[in-house]
Amino acid sequence: MNEFVVALGWFGLFAPVALGAIGSAWGCALGGSAAIGAMLDSDGGYGRFIGVSLMPSSQVIYGIVIMFSLQQQTVDAANGAALFGIGVLSGFTMLFTGIRQGEVLASAIHASKAKPEIFGISLAPAAVLEGFSVFALVFALVLAGSIPS
Amino acid sequence: MSNPHQYIALVTSLPHLGVLFTRKEVPISQFRLKQRLGVLSPGHQKHLREMVEVTAWAGVAKYDSDASVISRAREVIADLAEYPDLQHLVAARMETRTLIAALRRRREGQETAGRISEWGYGRWLAFIKDNWMDPGFGLSHFLPWIAEADRFMRSGDHIAMERLALTEVMRELDHYGNHHEFDFEAVAIYVLRWVIVERWSRYNEADARERLQVLLEDALHANDTHTTHPASMSETPLPSEGAYS
Repeated sequence: MNEFVVALGWFGLFAPVALGAIGSAWGCALGGSAAIGAMLDSDGGYGRFIGVSLMPSSQVIYGIVIMFSLQQQTVDAANGAALFGIGVLSGFTMLFTGIRQGEVLASAIHASKAKPEIFGISLAPAAVLEGFSVFALVFALVLAGSIPS
Repeated sequence: MSNPHQYIALVTSLPHLGVLFTRKEVPISQFRLKQRLGVLSPGHQKHLREMVEVTAWAGVAKYDSDASVISRAREVIADLAEYPDLQHLVAARMETRTLIAALRRRREGQETAGRISEWGYGRWLAFIKDNWMDPGFGLSHFLPWIAEADRFMRSGDHIAMERLALTEVMRELDHYGNHHEFDFEAVAIYVLRWVIVERWSRYNEADARERLQVLLEDALHANDTHTTHPASMSETPLPSEGAYS
């Protein structure tokens, strides 16, 4: 049983990075596809399309920060379950917000082609999703401090 | 093409068509549009061709009877089984055409609907047949535009009639387009909208050509005749008419 909990602990330790990387990759691919399409139909402003399409890359960075905060001198039965719970749940948050951020960025890029003046405000939903990722990051850091070492 | 990323790239590469009747030319040429749509799979390209064939005036014009158009539309709708919204869209377009065809037949003096199943399509056939003499075919509660179209048609205001019909078609496209952003349906709806915008821009072009012709004739014959052209010559040319325009 102890070995199983230790295995879960290691799983939870790396989950924020792995799931965050998947979310970032997926989100950047969605946003990047929209940016590439928009560049075909635009005479300028390519940088801003590419720039916003990279917004979901923050999720993997948050995942790395969470992993370092969860890192213990030893992973054992006492802290395995906590590492698993915090790591996996925060990882799924990064995965989900990364993908959804890519989707809303694709919509924002598409909409701002029709009405360039809404480019800034159309990024608001993506910024809110970023805020949710930050919530998950901050509270994972808070909880990481109370894991028995 | 099944990868959603490719649809995102394709849809965002298509320029915004703007508000109907406000553009004098399409924002993307037919050549460039075809080039962009080249990334679609052969199956999707076939679906798109078929949809345009039965919904656009140019595609319908090659058929010799309304019955063959309806028969072809049924085949196309059956082929679109994977895309229920596109099925509804083609069916709704056929129903709109049926209503316009009924208005035209009545204006031309037809006293009854006759064999409506041979020239009509859709849910409203029984209503049209039973309420032939009613301005809105008994559908004014659901479709208030019919009575308005009848009024325009009777007054001979074909441009207003055409605008009303195209507005109605655009409303249907917008309704289904709201449910699709980055998929095949979104691309198909964009192409159908493009066909309408392109058609309206050609009316304007024809209008301009006619006016130019009148001006040239005026200039060339001014010294000989010193007469002006009849008022009808300088009027906006009527759009192509037909049961399935």
